[in-house]
Amino acid sequence: MKSKIISEFLKKYWYNYVIGAAFLILSSYIQTLSPKYIGTIFDLLKEPVIDSRLILHYIILLVLVALGLFVTRFIWRYFIMGNARNMECFLRQRLLEHLQRLDVTFYNNRKTGDLMAYAVNDIGAVRQSFGPGVALVLNGLGLGLLSVFSMANSVHPRLTALALLPIPFIIAIIVWLGRIIQKRFRAVQKNFASISDRINENISGIRVIKTYVQEDREVDRFDLLNSKMMKSNLDLVRVSSLLSPLIQTLFGISFMVNLIYGSTLVIDGAISLGSFVEFNGYLGMIMRPVISIGRIINVFQRGLASYKRLNEIFMERPAIADTVDKSPVEKIQGSLEIKGLSFRYPGYDEYALKDINVSLPEGKVLGIIGPTGSGKTTLVNLLLRLYKVDDGKILIDGHDINEYRLEDLREAIGYVPQDNFLFSATISDNIRFFDDRFTEDDIENASRISMIYDSIMDFPDKFETVIGERGVNLSGGQKQRISIARALIKNPAITILDDALSAVDTQTEEDILKNLKQDMRGRTCIIIAHRISALKHADEIIVLDHGRIIERGTHKSLLEQKGYYYELYRDQYQKEQRERMENEAS
Amino acid sequence: MKRHSLLRVMKMSLPYWKIILMSALCVLAVNGAELAKPYVLKVVIDDFLKYRKPQAGLYSITAMGIAYMLLVLISSTLTYIQENSMNYVGQSIVTNVRRKIFSHIQRFPLPVLDRFTTGRLITRATNDVEAISELFTDVFINLFKDVFLLIGIVFVMLRMNVTLALIGFTVIPFIVLLTNVVKKKMKANFVVIKSLTGRINGFFAENISGMKLVQIFNMQREKQREFKELNDEYYKAALTRMTLNSVLRPAIEIFNSLAIAILIWYGMGRIMGQTLDLGVLYAFTEYIKQFFEPINDLAEKYNTIQSAVVSADRIFELLDKEEELEDYDSGIRVDRFRGDIEFRNVWFAYNDEDWVLKDVSFRIRSGQTAAFVGATGSGKTTIINLLSRFYRVQKGEILIDGININDINLRDLRRNIAVVLQDVFLFSGSIRDNITLNSDISEDRVEAALKLSCAEAFIYELPDKMDQPVTERGSTFSAGQRQLLAFARTIAHDPSIFVLDEATANIDTKTEGLIQRSIANVSKDRTTLIIAHRLSTIRNADVIFIIRKGRIIESGSHDELMALGGYYYQLNAVS
Repeated sequence: MKSKIISEFLKKYWYNYVIGAAFLILSSYIQTLSPKYIGTIFDLLKEPVIDSRLILHYIILLVLVALGLFVTRFIWRYFIMGNARNMECFLRQRLLEHLQRLDVTFYNNRKTGDLMAYAVNDIGAVRQSFGPGVALVLNGLGLGLLSVFSMANSVHPRLTALALLPIPFIIAIIVWLGRIIQKRFRAVQKNFASISDRINENISGIRVIKTYVQEDREVDRFDLLNSKMMKSNLDLVRVSSLLSPLIQTLFGISFMVNLIYGSTLVIDGAISLGSFVEFNGYLGMIMRPVISIGRIINVFQRGLASYKRLNEIFMERPAIADTVDKSPVEKIQGSLEIKGLSFRYPGYDEYALKDINVSLPEGKVLGIIGPTGSGKTTLVNLLLRLYKVDDGKILIDGHDINEYRLEDLREAIGYVPQDNFLFSATISDNIRFFDDRFTEDDIENASRISMIYDSIMDFPDKFETVIGERGVNLSGGQKQRISIARALIKNPAITILDDALSAVDTQTEEDILKNLKQDMRGRTCIIIAHRISALKHADEIIVLDHGRIIERGTHKSLLEQKGYYYELYRDQYQKEQRERMENEAS
Repeated sequence: MKRHSLLRVMKMSLPYWKIILMSALCVLAVNGAELAKPYVLKVVIDDFLKYRKPQAGLYSITAMGIAYMLLVLISSTLTYIQENSMNYVGQSIVTNVRRKIFSHIQRFPLPVLDRFTTGRLITRATNDVEAISELFTDVFINLFKDVFLLIGIVFVMLRMNVTLALIGFTVIPFIVLLTNVVKKKMKANFVVIKSLTGRINGFFAENISGMKLVQIFNMQREKQREFKELNDEYYKAALTRMTLNSVLRPAIEIFNSLAIAILIWYGMGRIMGQTLDLGVLYAFTEYIKQFFEPINDLAEKYNTIQSAVVSADRIFELLDKEEELEDYDSGIRVDRFRGDIEFRNVWFAYNDEDWVLKDVSFRIRSGQTAAFVGATGSGKTTIINLLSRFYRVQKGEILIDGININDINLRDLRRNIAVVLQDVFLFSGSIRDNITLNSDISEDRVEAALKLSCAEAFIYELPDKMDQPVTERGSTFSAGQRQLLAFARTIAHDPSIFVLDEATANIDTKTEGLIQRSIANVSKDRTTLIIAHRLSTIRNADVIFIIRKGRIIESGSHDELMALGGYYYQLNAVS
C-alpha cells in the first residue's frame, strides 16, 4: 500500500520537471560544444596561414556558449530544484494536517522526537531525491548517451565493447552496496531520533533531574546513545565511501583496455592516433556521470528510506473519523445519555469502564468522583470521542455520538484537561486558542469567570504576556485557570472539568463554581473531582470504582447511603467542621 | 566572530593531528597519482604511437597500461582510507561536542534554560552538530586538496610561460569580487534558513505534544494557517538560497571561458609572430580549466562552510555560557543537614523588580513540619525554587543549618532536599528506573519506599510489576498513580529535607489518607515543608505560614493561628 501524497504533488506540478528536463538537456548539449569549438580553433591555428577573423568568430562563440550555459542552467535549476523545495513545503504542510487527524492511540505509541524527525529529516531527504537527485540523473543520462553515441560512431566497435565491459559490474556493485547503505542509513536515522528524543525528555524533566542531582548519570546515559550514534555513522561511511573508489577502479580497467588494446590498434593501423585520443576523451566524459551514480544512489537510497518512513505515517488511518457529512442536529443542546457503556483500551484485557448508565438532561450538572484509576478520565475521553465507542452507547441530544461530525461534537464541549498544556504564545492566544472569532471582551469575560483575570492584570504585559514553552512563569493553579478560561470562552453546550480545580485553593474553587453556575446557566456540566466541595451541588453524582458505578445520587441521598461517598465526606468535611466547632468553642 | 568559530572548531581537531596528517598525506598521494595518470598517457602517445620506439620489458605499452591501473588502485585505496579516517575524526569531535552540549544543558540553571526552547536545544545537539561534522569529512580535507592543486597548477603555468600565466590570472579579481558579493547574501540567507528550520522544529514539537488539545478544541485549521505562514517564509528563503547557488557557479564558468578566449586571442598573435608553440597554448587552455575546477569547488564548499559556521556560532554561543553553569564542585560539603532552615529578609523576582517574594523571613527548626498556605500565585512555589537554588535570591539570604545556601555545595544541597513537584514527571524506562533514577538504591529500599508511598498496591497489579515500562511522560498512568510514583521516588532517595509541593492535589481522598500516614512517617526525622491547599492536611504542622502576595502575614501553630482570629481563622471558617 502506498500513500498517494507524492503522486498528488507530481500530478499538480509535473510540468516543472518537463520544462526543467528540457533545459537541462539543452544545457548538457551546450556543454559539449565548447571542446568542439576549441578543437576547431586549434585546427585553424595549425594552418600555415591563420584566418584571424574566423578564429575571432569562434572565440565569440565560445563566450556565447558560456553565457548560454549560464542561462539554461539557471532555468533548469529554477524548475527542478525550486520544484523540489515546493514539494518539501507541500509535504510538511500535509504531514501536519495528517498528524492532526490521527488519534490518541497513535500518539500513545509514538515519541515526539520520532515524529519530528519525519517533519525535518525525512522530508529533507525526499527533497534531495526530487531535486539534486533528479538533476544528477538527467544530467548523467544526457552527457553519457552523447558520449557513448560518439564513441560507437567514430571509433572501433570491438574497442568500445571491451572498454565498456566493466559497466555491468559497476551497476551490480551499485545495487549491492546500495542495499547495505540503505540499511545502515536507517540505523543512523533511528539513532538520530533517539538522541532528539532523549534531549527532549531530559529538558522536560530537568527539574526532577536537578532535584535529585542526576545530571551526571543523565550524561552517562546520553553517552551510550551518543556512542551508538557515532558507531552507526562510521558503519554507514565504511560502506558508502566504498562505492566511489570501486567505481573508479573498474573504470580504470576501461582506460587500461584503451591504453593497451587501443594503442595496439593504432600501431596496427586499424585506428588513427586522433581517434585514440578522442576515445580517451569520451571515456573521461562518461566517467563523470557514472561516478556521480554513487552520489545519486546515496541520495535516492536516503530518499527512498525516508519516503518509506513517511509513507508509513501517511498510511496511518485514524481509528476515529467522521462517518457522516452532517451532524443530526444543528446545534447541540447538551443532554447526555450513556447506556450500558463498557470499554477496554486497545490491547488491554481489563475493562476500564463497565456497564455505565447515566442520563443527564440538558443544563444539569453531573459530578464524578472515585479513586485514582477508577475510570473517570476514560469516561471523558470517550465523550470526546478520543477512542472508538460502540454504537448506541453514548447519546447526545438523543443521537449517537458516532453520528456527529467530530468537529461539531468537540465544538460543543468545553474541556479542561487534568494536565495543563499551554502553548508558548500570549495568554490571550492561549485563552482564545488562536481563534480569531473571539474578541477581547470574550477573552476578558472568560478569564473573569475562571478567576484568572486579576492575576493576568498583575503581569507586566497583561493578556499579551508570553508564556514560556513549559509555562514556567505560571503556577499550577494559574495554568489550570487559563485552561478553564480556554474551555469557557467557547460558551460550550457541555463543560467538562477533569479534576481541573485541583491546584486552586478552596476559596477560588468556590468562586469559580459560583461563576460557572451564574454564567453558564442552562449549560450541561460534568465535574470530575476528588474534593466533595467541588461537586456537592451537582444534580447527580456518580461514584466510580474499578470502572463501575458503585454509588449514585445527589449529595444528600449519597450521604444517606452511608457508603464510599459518605466516608469521603466524613473524611474531608466533618473533620474540618468538627475542628472548626472545637476551635470556636475553645 | 565567524572566523573565530571556525578556528575554534579546527582547534578541536588538534588531538587527532596524526590521523589528519595521514589523511593529508593520502590526499597528496592521490593528487600525485591523478597528475601522473596523464603523464603515462603522454609517454604512450609520444614514445610508442608517434615515434614508434621499440618496446622492451617494463618499457612497453602493456607495462604502461599496468602502471596506469596501479595508479588508479592507489588513488582509490587512499581515497577510501582518507575518507574513513576523516570521518572518524569528524564523528569523534562531533560526539564530543554533542556530549558537551548535553552536559551543559544539564548544568544550566533554570533561568538560562527558560530562555531556550526545547526545539532549539535539540537542533544544537543534532543538526548543528552534523554541520560541523561535515567540515571535517568534506570541507577541510578537500580545501587542502584544492589549495594544493591550485599551487601546483600556478607553479607549472608560471614555469611554462609567465605572460600567458599572468593573462590567465587577470580574471581572478573579478571572481573574488563576485564570490564576495554573493557570499555575503548567502550568509544572511543561511541565518534566516537556520532560524526558520529551528522554528519549524519547535512548531512540530509543541504541536505534537499538544495534539490532543488541538484536536479537542478543533484548532487544526488555525494551526495549519499558522504553520503555512512559517512554511511559506521558509519556501521563500529556500528559493533565495537556490537562486544564489545557481548564480555563483555558472558565473565563475563564464569567467573561465572569458579567460580562455583572451588567452587564445593573445596567443594567436604570438603564434603568428612565431614566438609561441601551439602545444603550449593548448596546455594552457587545459590548465585554465583545471585551475578553475578547484576554484569552483571552493565556491561550492562555501555553502557547507557557511552553514557549518552558523551552526558553530550557535553551538559556541551555548557552550560559552560556561560561567553561567551551575557550579557543582565548590562550596561547603555537607553530608547530611540537620534541617534547620531560615529565610532572612528574602526578596525575589523572576523578572526585574516584579517582586514575587517581599521581605520574607521565617525559621523552621530541625525536624519540624512547616506548612505554607496561600492563594495561587502568592509565592509558595517560589520558596521551594529558592530553597533548592533553582533561582537565586536578589536580596536577603537563605540559611540551612546556619550556612548561607549560596555557600553550600550545590550537589549536596539538592541531594538533601527532595521535592515532589506539582507536575509529576516520569521518564521513559521502567517503574524501577523512575524510582531509583538509575542510582544505586537497593531493592529493599525501593520496596520499602513503595510500601510507604502506597504505590505498592497498584504497581503489583501491573503485569510486569516494577519492570513495567513507562512510556513517554508516563501517559499510561493516571495523574494519581504518577503522584504515587513521585512519592516513592522521593522516599527512596532518603533526603534530609522533604518538600511536598501541592503533591496531594491529584490523589483521591482514600489514597491520600494512606499517604498522610506515610508523610507522617517520613517527616518524623526530617524537616518537612508542605504546600497544600487543604487545611486538613496541614493541621498537624508544627508551624504554619500564611502567605499573601509575597509576604508572610501570619505564622504559628494551628491553635495559635485560630486563636489569632485572622486570615487563617477565616479560611477555616469558609470551608
